[in-house]
Amino acid sequence: MPTIFSKLRLSSVFVLLFFVGLPAALAVYKLYFLDYRLTDVLPRTEYHVSVKLTLDGHLGRARVRTFLPHNDQHQEIFGEGQNADQTFRFTTELGQADNREAIWLGSAVPDQAEIVYEFSALANAVRYRIDPGLQVPQGYTRAIRAYLAPEEAIQVDDPDILRAAREIGADSGSIYERLRKIFDFTASLTQRPFKGTTDALTALKLGEASCNGKSRLFVALARAVGIPARLVGGLILTNGTKRTSHQWVEAYIGGHWVPFGPTNGHFASLPENYLVLYRGDEALFRHTSDVNFNYAFTTTSRMVPSKRAREVFKVFNVWDLFARLNLPFSLLRTVLMLPIGALVVVLFKNVIGVPTFGTFLPALIAAAAGETGLVWGLVSLVIVTMAVVVARALVQRLQLLHSPTLGILLTVVVLTMLGTSLAAEHFDMKQLARVSYFPIAVMAIASERFYLSLTEQGPAIAAQHFTGTLLVVLGCYLVMASLAIQILVSGFPEVLLLVIAANIYVGRWVGVRLIEFWRFRGVLRAQEAAA
Amino acid sequence: MLRQDSAWARRKGLLFGINRRNVELVYACNPRRHYPLADDKLRCKELLVAQGIPVAPTIAVCRGLFEVERVVATLRDKQDFVVKPAGGSGGDGIAVVGSRTATGWRGSAERYISEGELRQHLANIVFGAFSKQLEDKALVEERIRPHAWLNTLWSDGVCDIRIISHEGKSALAMLRVPTLRSEGRANLHRGGIGVAIALDSGITTRAVLNGKAIRVHPETGANLVGCRVPHWKECVAIARRIARGVPLGYLGIDMTIDEDRGPLVLEINARPGLEIQNVTHTLLGEVIPGAAS
Repeated sequence: MPTIFSKLRLSSVFVLLFFVGLPAALAVYKLYFLDYRLTDVLPRTEYHVSVKLTLDGHLGRARVRTFLPHNDQHQEIFGEGQNADQTFRFTTELGQADNREAIWLGSAVPDQAEIVYEFSALANAVRYRIDPGLQVPQGYTRAIRAYLAPEEAIQVDDPDILRAAREIGADSGSIYERLRKIFDFTASLTQRPFKGTTDALTALKLGEASCNGKSRLFVALARAVGIPARLVGGLILTNGTKRTSHQWVEAYIGGHWVPFGPTNGHFASLPENYLVLYRGDEALFRHTSDVNFNYAFTTTSRMVPSKRAREVFKVFNVWDLFARLNLPFSLLRTVLMLPIGALVVVLFKNVIGVPTFGTFLPALIAAAAGETGLVWGLVSLVIVTMAVVVARALVQRLQLLHSPTLGILLTVVVLTMLGTSLAAEHFDMKQLARVSYFPIAVMAIASERFYLSLTEQGPAIAAQHFTGTLLVVLGCYLVMASLAIQILVSGFPEVLLLVIAANIYVGRWVGVRLIEFWRFRGVLRAQEAAA
Repeated sequence: MLRQDSAWARRKGLLFGINRRNVELVYACNPRRHYPLADDKLRCKELLVAQGIPVAPTIAVCRGLFEVERVVATLRDKQDFVVKPAGGSGGDGIAVVGSRTATGWRGSAERYISEGELRQHLANIVFGAFSKQLEDKALVEERIRPHAWLNTLWSDGVCDIRIISHEGKSALAMLRVPTLRSEGRANLHRGGIGVAIALDSGITTRAVLNGKAIRVHPETGANLVGCRVPHWKECVAIARRIARGVPLGYLGIDMTIDEDRGPLVLEINARPGLEIQNVTHTLLGEVIPGAAS
């Protein structure tokens, strides 16, 4: 099509090839010929769990036993550590079903003794596909046969359980069909809040249960129809402190232990935030009686780059470069994200028409807010701006020349930041204390502009610009704080060429800015009526 | 409904927003190297004077801190002058000085201006407080005596006429009238009144204050619509001569009318604003050839 080529000048072709073609080619090369995977770009949730146990030992002997999570395909545990009163001797051992047991034994345990066990966890959601044609096998090995036997609270051989299995039709058909019926039945029981242990038979008779009753009934019914099954105990990881643990089940299908959660509707799957602590019908805690035992789980989470991303993104590996230079990842992401943030500002300004103070100030503030958190970033911004406005109003009386005025304001910004950090540290507000990440010079100039706008254009216009600035900071933050975009740019730095391409496009875009439709609404509409 | 929408879409295609003004008018018609002609009032004035365009006479120029004392000394026996930053925009930093008193001058709105304040103002200007650069020059001009008709519209401050010129042809024109709120300045975004002028006849067709159409000045009560602008033919002729004599294709030419001297050019602007579309109720695309796309 010669017309298209004649329209495109050589320079445009070059621009297109270099800024769009090159990054696209590099990305394709990395994805097809190197071991890059786009899913590695997505960040993972890293949980930090702290188990806190308290007991009153009355200076006597006391023993506490609980379970520790172990590594498997579903979960990766690291950074484990315990901190207990000196009197305790801490041991771990491998127990039933390969559970990791932690035991604290103390000879003269004081009152209010404290034991803390901490670990970090990265987990994957798992989902199994069960071959619908898979039939219940004739027999199992001895080790697996144990998971068909009745237990104290899992009354497999009770006539009521056997009858229930027949009534729901779980005694015939493929493994999939049987488990589906058992799952639907147990899931349909009325949900009750946890009130202690419920055995399988009680759950069946009452037609209602909490997670442990439903799970026991599931296990009992599965075993009754010849499918090995076992209880699983663990935690649902959500941010905060709680005492609730959770129970679900695993069924042995075709050589795999497949998870089922009848309480929350997980069929042959396990969500990412289910942490396995033990398997079998066990109590999570066993302890010497009469010690006023108490416990709490505290979970915090943060997003982290997936390990694979860091290992695999090898071409022009900016991660390694920063590591060699001894620079932190936080700086790397700030640097890499600035062009992206600037592009967001450009879009806000040139496409929407939001007024801001300082061209790229919002992107810089958003970068700083990456360290303080958004709320504290904005709070810091307001504090610094207010301090500069007050200082500027005072300096105004001295009638100083322009540059010295700016010099004073810069100093005021620094002093305000130091003061804020000091005060924040004193009141233990760690995030606010990191206000010193702010771009100082830009802050001084922008705050000065805010003051001038306030005095010359009036509070209405100044407020408009300030609101606009906050809005764009928010927009920048949402994009710049996205770990996925951060990792994308770390793994594919050529994305920055696309940023240039986008800027070229927006730079030649002659469309009407969104707010200009409002500004020129009169003239746009007026002649329409006349026409 | 459909017809209205298509009419609106057509109107939208004729509207010049900031993006389109910059790309299609400013960058396309005004070579960057010629910006100083418009941005530096001093250079602009020299160019205009060389071409015989009428401007307000210059009393003194202050090119740096070292000249402040000399300029203040020159002004000591002068009155009725205006101090302007050569690189300022939007009327920032313009001080109007009136009659001489024992120790200083009367300023606008009966304000007293001391010699110290004048010195300070000159120093602020040369330090670039009102310009985008780090330093600037201060220009002292004779104060204009506005034409009697302009004085009836607003007496304390200068009404100015802006003509937008594109590729040598005048495209749109308006008169800007200060109000109490605009503090004697004629800038529309500070609360000045925009009055549309028909280019061919010089008759005012509509007036706008803060986006609302008005007919009389809210404070002086002067009639704003249907008036004949004095010396209009001269104004248009001057605009045409400037447009042909300056190497800038897209221009805002600001002038006023002096009681004795007639039209005087105040400044030219290489990036004139877009509010004139709202004032004249005319989209730039309607009057700029080839813009309808």
